[in-house]
Amino acid sequence: MTIALDRPVSVRFRRPRGLGVAAASGFLLLAFAAAVTPGLFAGDPLAADPLHVLEPPSAAHWFGTDQLGRDVFDRVVHGARHSLSIGIAATLVAAGLGVLLGLLAGLSHRYADEALSRGFDALAAFPLLLLALLFVAVAGPGTVGLIVAIGIATLPHYARVVRSQTFVVRQAGYVTQAVAFGDSRTRLVLRHVLPNVIGPIPVLAVIGLGEAILAAAGLSFLGMGPQPPSPEWGAMLSEGRGYLSIAWWTSILPGVVVTLLVISLTVVGRRLQRRFEGRTA
Amino acid sequence: MRHRLWLAAAASLALLAGCSSSGGTATDAGAPVSGGSLSWAVETEPITLNPHQYAQAKARLLVWNNFEALLTHDDKGGYVPWLATGYEVSPDGKTYTVKLRTGVTFSDGTKFDAAAVKANVDQLLADGYAPTVAAVQLKNLKNVEVVDPATIKYNLKQPDVLILDFLSSPQGAVVSPKSLKEAKNLKAGGPELAGTGPFILDKYTPGQELHYVKNPNYNWAPANAGHTGPAYLDEVTYRFLKESSVRVGALTSGQVQVIEGVPATDQAQITANPQLTLSKGLNSGSAYSYYFNTSHAPFDDIRVRQAFRDALDVDTVLQGVYRGTATRAWSVISPTSPLYDSSLEKTYGNDAAKANATLDAAGWSTRDAEGYRTKDGKRLTARLVQSAPFVRDRRDILAQAVQAAVKQSAGIDLKVSVVDQGTATKAIEDNQYEIFDNSRADTDAGAALNLLLRSDGAINRTGVQDTQLDSLLAAGEAGGDRVKTYGEIQQKVIAKDALIQPLYAPADQIASSKAVGGLGFEPTAGVPGNAYNVWLSK
Repeated sequence: MTIALDRPVSVRFRRPRGLGVAAASGFLLLAFAAAVTPGLFAGDPLAADPLHVLEPPSAAHWFGTDQLGRDVFDRVVHGARHSLSIGIAATLVAAGLGVLLGLLAGLSHRYADEALSRGFDALAAFPLLLLALLFVAVAGPGTVGLIVAIGIATLPHYARVVRSQTFVVRQAGYVTQAVAFGDSRTRLVLRHVLPNVIGPIPVLAVIGLGEAILAAAGLSFLGMGPQPPSPEWGAMLSEGRGYLSIAWWTSILPGVVVTLLVISLTVVGRRLQRRFEGRTA
Repeated sequence: MRHRLWLAAAASLALLAGCSSSGGTATDAGAPVSGGSLSWAVETEPITLNPHQYAQAKARLLVWNNFEALLTHDDKGGYVPWLATGYEVSPDGKTYTVKLRTGVTFSDGTKFDAAAVKANVDQLLADGYAPTVAAVQLKNLKNVEVVDPATIKYNLKQPDVLILDFLSSPQGAVVSPKSLKEAKNLKAGGPELAGTGPFILDKYTPGQELHYVKNPNYNWAPANAGHTGPAYLDEVTYRFLKESSVRVGALTSGQVQVIEGVPATDQAQITANPQLTLSKGLNSGSAYSYYFNTSHAPFDDIRVRQAFRDALDVDTVLQGVYRGTATRAWSVISPTSPLYDSSLEKTYGNDAAKANATLDAAGWSTRDAEGYRTKDGKRLTARLVQSAPFVRDRRDILAQAVQAAVKQSAGIDLKVSVVDQGTATKAIEDNQYEIFDNSRADTDAGAALNLLLRSDGAINRTGVQDTQLDSLLAAGEAGGDRVKTYGEIQQKVIAKDALIQPLYAPADQIASSKAVGGLGFEPTAGVPGNAYNVWLSK
């Protein structure tokens, strides 16, 4: 390592980083393809075969079979749809609500802004999983409850960014001029403020998607997500944990896939963030 | 090798046990010794610690540590006096006179006598206290009479042999009349309820453990208890470890010396370990079965009930989930019961072609996009709501296996959910279920059937209202040729009316360190016994 000190570090590490991003993007592509057309890659995730339960990975069953003799690989592939759709929907809820509330706070007078901001602080003060658990307890387990819970729990990320951007933008010359031209309030917000504050949101959302998928898997693990026999990754981890000592593949392999997906999303998200940093600041 | 050595070292350190690891089973623990403290990991945390409110077979081994009943069972379904010294039945079968043991005291110092027994019966009959016991087990009881301090008379409205089963059941356990009066939370029970048992419940930490200490004055064990005098152990702690893999891990790492509820998939691991031993007992009572709710569609149609049973290959499903360790049930009564009707074996089920033909004929002939059968646009759905505190033996996994099987073979949509007790009760009350799952470890199967099949049965979840069935059940409890009567009942509910899908005979498994001796199963009931006769070799 010491010999690298006399050279710019970025030169030395550029190539591995590019490789990482390529691998991550490739994995993401695969995951999205699996989510869109799981039937193309895998068989029926619900087909149980009681005579072949808990069989280790083999040529016939790449990821082995679970406690009901279902193919773990088939379930992992089909699980991509559950996990990604929950993750994306939750992220959309969070980003949508976050932008709306952040904009509202940024444009409001002192008291309303204060109230909203303290609301974001309160939401952000609790760990994501705990907060989501609370909302699931109210909304009830299942896919919709999960989406709403994770969406609300993660909205402060987006709201805070949008609020601070709004402060910058509302003092910009073009906004002052638009006000001088007598633009209506609606036109002002939609035409001038909004397009200039949501710049960082897509990048935040890519990183947030990883977090949302992880939270969804975590809540499903606790039984708060899609109910059996749905092939959801968190639920698979939970079902497999009773067999960990004799059949590690039933929970380890879905766990590896979740980990890879979240890492990939973070790698790609960070790369995008670096790329757009100059433009959005 | 290193792993095994480490385990051996950990086990012997934790147990201070210098036992050899040569062959043999519990005898490795040598002759009984007094003293020591045992940790026992159990699967189920009791809903209540009041024996009168007892509802979980898995709680039975706890009840008998600090409470006792008037009678207990021998291993042939007969009765042995416990807090009684004997009983007499009048020729008309309507009066049971029970002679009580003298010199027995509750752990709070109160004297045990006929008045104490009567106070318990009065409490059981009090409004809203134990409605199931009052409505079922004591429904034929007219009154109890204190003849003298050592004699009590049970006067019945009509002959009922099941009263003896009540006198030997946890609900019939005798609680100190002082605690019945003074306990702040009587229904929940706990250390404030005093009993006469060989142990005293010292501390209850919800979600964690129950801690019992020896009752040094105990000297009234029943004749078949294995020894007399106080218990061998000074202390016994039952830790609630819900996860089977955690229980097995706690045993192999020496954190506990005994576990119960050993899943089939982990049994090989136990038997392969020279430090451990595994024993199994089949429960009496009713088999673990699915009860079809006949009060509404789709199971109001007998053809759908028959088709469900034909769609299911129980043997294959059990093989998959339990790896050949489960005993298949063919009747609602467990095969260990003397009342079991073996002629039902291999008379139904596992005929997918027949199931599909029957469902076509019953109008469920169309299929939706997911492959489920439909009728008038409605899917053939059956909801099974499992209450988490009652899920044992991986019954949730079994349900998923059944779910997959009936979908694959006949397009039936079995919806399974595991919920908390309150939600489960609400689903039942609102009639929002099509299948109810249950097994009962009643020592007399007749007591279980009274609850499950009578028109007014407390857990009649099939909704069956059948006067013929009611009169058969009444004849069964009155005595006479009970094998014949209960045979007719089983023929009716299983073969003729297809009200029930029996699955397996519940069993209990105990795995323990070989330093532990005296572990066993309760005679007749077949569930793990209490800790009275258990010792820990030094």
